[in-house]
Amino acid sequence: MTVVDSPPPRLPVRDRATAHQRAGAGVSPMLTRLAEERATGVLDREHGTLHLAEGRVVHAESPLAPGLDEFLTAHGTLAAEDWRDAEDSGDGGRLLRHGVTPGALELAQASALYDAAYFALAPSSTPGRFRYGTAHWLASVHPVPVAALERETLRRRALLRRIWPDPATDGAPLIRAAPVAAPAVPPRQAAVLEQVDGVRRAADIARELGRPTFHTLVHLRRLAAAGLVSPQPPPPVLDVPPEAADPYVALLKRVRDALEAL
Amino acid sequence: MANTETTLKECLASIEGATGVALVDYTSGMALGTLGGSKTFDLNVAAAGNTDVVRAKMRTMEHLGLKGGIEDILITLTDQYHLIRLITGRGGNGLFLYLVLDAKRANLAMARHQLKKIEEDLEV
Repeated sequence: MTVVDSPPPRLPVRDRATAHQRAGAGVSPMLTRLAEERATGVLDREHGTLHLAEGRVVHAESPLAPGLDEFLTAHGTLAAEDWRDAEDSGDGGRLLRHGVTPGALELAQASALYDAAYFALAPSSTPGRFRYGTAHWLASVHPVPVAALERETLRRRALLRRIWPDPATDGAPLIRAAPVAAPAVPPRQAAVLEQVDGVRRAADIARELGRPTFHTLVHLRRLAAAGLVSPQPPPPVLDVPPEAADPYVALLKRVRDALEAL
Repeated sequence: MANTETTLKECLASIEGATGVALVDYTSGMALGTLGGSKTFDLNVAAAGNTDVVRAKMRTMEHLGLKGGIEDILITLTDQYHLIRLITGRGGNGLFLYLVLDAKRANLAMARHQLKKIEEDLEV
């Protein structure tokens, strides 16, 4: 009898450390690749758009997040026509000539960028598309490395989960709830709570207040955790009576009713 | 106002004993800019964690019915001071400056005074 004393071959095991790294880098593999090749252009994703210059993210837009123009005009820093003037000419310097300080512009752009990017980098069901081109007109205001943006986006997702794990308040129309012992609400959250009217969603409230949508999500999750806000339950599926749809069914039912009544 | 980079540089250069500074948004916990720090002292982590400090204090004041705002918060460690200064500018609602000082070299009263000046210049 032969005795096999060589150990069996090692089975392939997924290395958890690298698997985790891959998952971390997996916010958007395409974006990582574009950063590596120092690309310039526009990345369109399902929930938003990222503008790249030399592989760094310089601007972001999302239908779910208020734009830089809304931040600057909402608090009276800039008049709406002055924004249009600067945008039409594609000259960021004009914003400064209209009285926006460089620091305020930089901070507003950073807030808008991280906010829109949070939604643009959300998991999507369609593939992203990149168009090579020229840099955005606000490219020099506050460029952000892709790695920093992805790290921040993941941190933001984790922060929301930690506050209140149910994401239902992020996208649904919101209603006020009346808990038995309502806790005191700080002023910034109270402003959000006042906007909850059964119709508005988080993104609408953010626009209304001229604040980043992510900040509104944070406030709403805290309000949801306190039991003050809940998502509007989906409208009950209307039971369309089949009689209305099908005349034969209606006739048969009337016949049945008549027979039963005999 | 100066831009964030200049402001942070000014903090480190002009305040005696300053070893790190961050400009932080306390709703998201994100550091909009950091300067200084070290391998063992990650300012981004410190920024995110200290938003909870600011929030807790604000909530407590709310519960107590105190009407005043927070100007600054001082945390004294055995060998460091951590100074948090809330920014009250026009659009600067929701930001604070976070300053780390070496306790041996720093002059606390002077540092508070200078940080106040820098915050006024920030005028976001």
